[in-house]
Amino acid sequence: MNEDKLIALRQQDQNLRDAIRQDEVERPQMPADLNARLMQRMGTKPQTTRIRKLWPWLAAACVAAFIVVLIAPPKSDVPTGERQVTAKVEQPAKVEPQGNELLTEVLPEAKTQPTTDVPVKSPRPLHKPVAAQPVAVEPVATEPLLAQAPAPVETAQPDNETMTTLTERDIPITRPENYQYTPEELALLKKQANEAYLKWVELELEISKCNLEQTAQK
Amino acid sequence: MTETDFHLIQGLRRQSPKAQQQMLGRYGNDVFAQVARLVPGLENAEEVYQDVFIKVFKNIGSYDEEKSSLKTWISRIAYNESISFLRHKSMPVVYFEDREGEAEKLSETEVEATFGQPNQETVQLIRAALKHLPPDEHAIITMFYYEEMSLKEIAYVTESISTTVASKLSRTRKKLCKIIKMLQS
Repeated sequence: MNEDKLIALRQQDQNLRDAIRQDEVERPQMPADLNARLMQRMGTKPQTTRIRKLWPWLAAACVAAFIVVLIAPPKSDVPTGERQVTAKVEQPAKVEPQGNELLTEVLPEAKTQPTTDVPVKSPRPLHKPVAAQPVAVEPVATEPLLAQAPAPVETAQPDNETMTTLTERDIPITRPENYQYTPEELALLKKQANEAYLKWVELELEISKCNLEQTAQK
Repeated sequence: MTETDFHLIQGLRRQSPKAQQQMLGRYGNDVFAQVARLVPGLENAEEVYQDVFIKVFKNIGSYDEEKSSLKTWISRIAYNESISFLRHKSMPVVYFEDREGEAEKLSETEVEATFGQPNQETVQLIRAALKHLPPDEHAIITMFYYEEMSLKEIAYVTESISTTVASKLSRTRKKLCKIIKMLQS
């Protein structure tokens, strides 16, 4: 059927046209606020793009903050804590000296106030080795040192019997008064650390046993 | 294309809210009617309507004034959106399907007599019969008889060709006549 004939039919089919017109008239009308809602929906779209544009800046700010935190010196390097200082002060006194010539150099704070909680100011130059002033220290107690973990340390030559100045790189400690140890002291520290570790393992085993027993009882 | 249409399109290409409002005012009702004709349910029609205009505003750059008028271009988007909505949502649409080709056996004289002689009762029967047509056929027949679009325009909207639209219109007329006869009997 060609277009001309169809157009002619369109004029002829009066009933069909009327029926469609009536249908269209009775069709529900468009809600009055639909266009407003559409414009609102359109208006919210650019906001997402704005957020997209902002997030790289936020990410960059976060990265910058992270770098600043990373570059800043760690707290352990800053000698400020009171408790840490007091605790470590006791350590030199616990060392068992084997002879006068093997005595360690202990800072005056360690000698005079072995158990007090008085805050001790750490000396400023951390990398400076403490001047060698042999002081006789009476051994006060032989309690094991648990805090000092064994560290790879270059031992001094025994024939020379000279004290080796240890740097911070050798022992993972930050207390300047503990910078210098004799090989014997270091060996003792190592031994005590090992003992402490063994004790800890035993304790862990005991705890595990107790737990098992308790579980079995339940 | 009129001068106002030209300015409107320019404004839409600049994403001007004023031009968008103007377009909604000018074509909104027609588009909503077209969508509501195809998509059942007011909420669904509103959803499709919004999607149509968002697409129109987004793709106004691809509108070619030499191929079609702005209204026909929007109708094409509305038709496609409605059909794809029906497909995606799997809307249950019940319609008459002439599997045995009974409608094709009707003579042209018989069809012309049914549609041509003014009769209020027949009008009501046609209205009832229209509800049994599939959405695409209902849309085509409305575009032709109510919106008085040419076959070329309908072909553009439905992404088809004029001859296909013509044969579809002829078939739909006969199908409607068949449904009316079934309703009468």
